[in-house]
Amino acid sequence: MSFTSWQFALFATIVFGVYYLPPFKPFQVQLLVAASIFFYGYGQPELLPLLAVAVCGTYLFLVLALRDRRWLPAGIVFNLALLAFFKYKFLLFDPNAPALVGVPIVDFLLRLPLPVGISFFVFHNISLLVDMTREKKAPPGLVDVFLYIIFFPQLVAGPITRAGMFIPQIEPKRFADITFIEAAKWILAGFFFKLYVANNLNEMTSYMDFPLYETLRTQDRWLLVILYSYQIYADFFGYSGIAIGLALLFGYRLPINFDLPYSSASFSEFWTRWHISLSAWLRTYLYIPLGGNRRGKFRTYVNLIIVMGLGGLWHGAGLGYLAWGLMHGVLLAVERPFLETIQSVKWAALRPLRIAVVFTCVTMLWIFFRLPNFDHALGYLAGMFTPSTNPNPPKLFYDLALLYSLPVIIQHLRVSSPVERRLAVWEPYLYGALGALAYLEAGPATAFIYFQF
Amino acid sequence: MAPRYGSLAWLSRCLLSAALVLVACAIATARFGQRLQLPAITSRDGALITLNRYVDEPTPDIVLVGSSLTFRLKEEYFATQRLRNLALAGGSPLTGLEIVVNQPKIPKLIVVETNILSRTADPALVARFSTSQHPHQIFFRPVRASVAAYENWMHAPPTHAQNERALQQLLDQPPSDFDNHVYLERARQQIDIEAPPAVVSDAVETLGRLVGALELRGARVLFLDMPCAQPIEEARFMRGMHEAVHKAFPDASRWLSIGLDRTELRWADGVHLDERSALLVSRYLDRIFSALQNP
Repeated sequence: MSFTSWQFALFATIVFGVYYLPPFKPFQVQLLVAASIFFYGYGQPELLPLLAVAVCGTYLFLVLALRDRRWLPAGIVFNLALLAFFKYKFLLFDPNAPALVGVPIVDFLLRLPLPVGISFFVFHNISLLVDMTREKKAPPGLVDVFLYIIFFPQLVAGPITRAGMFIPQIEPKRFADITFIEAAKWILAGFFFKLYVANNLNEMTSYMDFPLYETLRTQDRWLLVILYSYQIYADFFGYSGIAIGLALLFGYRLPINFDLPYSSASFSEFWTRWHISLSAWLRTYLYIPLGGNRRGKFRTYVNLIIVMGLGGLWHGAGLGYLAWGLMHGVLLAVERPFLETIQSVKWAALRPLRIAVVFTCVTMLWIFFRLPNFDHALGYLAGMFTPSTNPNPPKLFYDLALLYSLPVIIQHLRVSSPVERRLAVWEPYLYGALGALAYLEAGPATAFIYFQF
Repeated sequence: MAPRYGSLAWLSRCLLSAALVLVACAIATARFGQRLQLPAITSRDGALITLNRYVDEPTPDIVLVGSSLTFRLKEEYFATQRLRNLALAGGSPLTGLEIVVNQPKIPKLIVVETNILSRTADPALVARFSTSQHPHQIFFRPVRASVAAYENWMHAPPTHAQNERALQQLLDQPPSDFDNHVYLERARQQIDIEAPPAVVSDAVETLGRLVGALELRGARVLFLDMPCAQPIEEARFMRGMHEAVHKAFPDASRWLSIGLDRTELRWADGVHLDERSALLVSRYLDRIFSALQNP
């Protein structure tokens, strides 16, 4: 069930309508768990048992680990094994092959599709195990654990919320405490970025598919990469915004996932602004346990590259995703020794220049996301530096491209505080207009890009 | 100091603003109608514009239906008046044919491209354009409409004389020397497979049913094999399709033959005619249509 479908609008309205009714107040957590199970099962009912096994298994390991910490690694391995099996089995098996291993139950599991959101709920499970074991408190109730892991606004594509942040929020919620304005702003901005920006840009970036991209003019190949950079941001920012807004309606605050990432002046700054919840997760549960920056310079660089490489593989089982992650790791490692020196230079033009360099590199690397087939991605990259020979290239409308990209550009220009204060009086009207424009100018429906992960 | 709205005041203003924008766009639609042709970004957009125009405008005398092969024959290439090309890039000839069948008025002559019949008709497009009351957009799309107005203003369609001059210049040029062998080989590999018999028989059966319905209503239906590069025509899939359709419709008088000198034709991407070749084919078809209209 996509956030942009009418089915979801109906579902969310009913759940919200019931949630604060006095008879349901004692069962708010149970209601959200039931709603989340319905939400997940609506698209993939055959995978509900997997979700139950993942949550119950994690809970069992948590209870054991709180008695004896040696169970913690077993719990983490259990979750990583689930992720590895479902995400990477297709590297070894063709699910359409008439015969797989010959054992019916294994064949059944091998033929199951990739469970939507598995990358996200497995990370929630690991966070739960580590945070709770570290705090050595009594384990939360199973229903609370279910809510933390499968809370429907964040179930499919995050933001990845740490257990230590979410579980303390589980308490009775009151209608009077809802921050309606904040929730409305997140939801309207989210829908606007998804429907107006991302879905319309997707129409143009569909020309990046293989072999269509071979027909493009060289300058259009550059343009489309930039448009894809805006599209993936608008798509994921849109999803995260809707998730944060919806969670606020139910009394939960999810972490912010994006903070104007394309205004970053270094790669390390980029990763504190892009998919913040994933970066924070990788830092907390992977980079620091690997030694972080505590074991000398060389080991720090290696750690950065390992963490980013694994972060790439987390997105999908493909050479392209691995290359994307490793290259980000290399960029982080390369800039690290020079960062302090560069930051100490007081030259006004340097920051815009650095932003341009970071944006260019990040944007070029998105090609590996758009074209997960490594050869196709390399072919596209090569095509950006060679003149096109096609006598009949497709025509792209640059004015439309600009108009669809404009919200991302304006958002990143950072309006100064005095201007922002003066604009505040117009804020409700602006958000209303954005909502209307999202409806009027919505591009053809497409799934959220991060649903595939 | 900026005012701090309460939740209710904020949400009311937000709703009011959204409602005003929607009402303004609804009024604009009522005032300007659907006349502004929005820019087509993808082939599907282009198909919607073509089909919208077909169902909105008076029924033409001649209609071409086909796939992306026939899509290249732009209407402005033809000297024949009252001709529409309903070929859909990336689509099936059966989609256009079914839409034509479902209209209350039908053209006198329908030409069906038969090279690629393996794709089934697009049910969404057929449903959308199969009644005289096809759904109109209620709301004006301000951004798209502004861009369309700007594009129409900046790039107004050429006059007939300008168009003729440009086409003549194209015809006067020698055939392109673009080396397409990489694309041609890739395309050949993709279609050098057996056409699934069930798919072929379904397509032929559907074609026969639609042709029968049109002929019952007095239209003439002719078939056309669009010229392709030799390796493509010899690929197993194309050969299988060709044999099946010719077997189902053996009457030679139903088939249009493109008797052009093949050395003049080029397929830049291996499959589709380039502009000059498409113009040559269109002009050849012009002569056939003229002979059919003035026997």
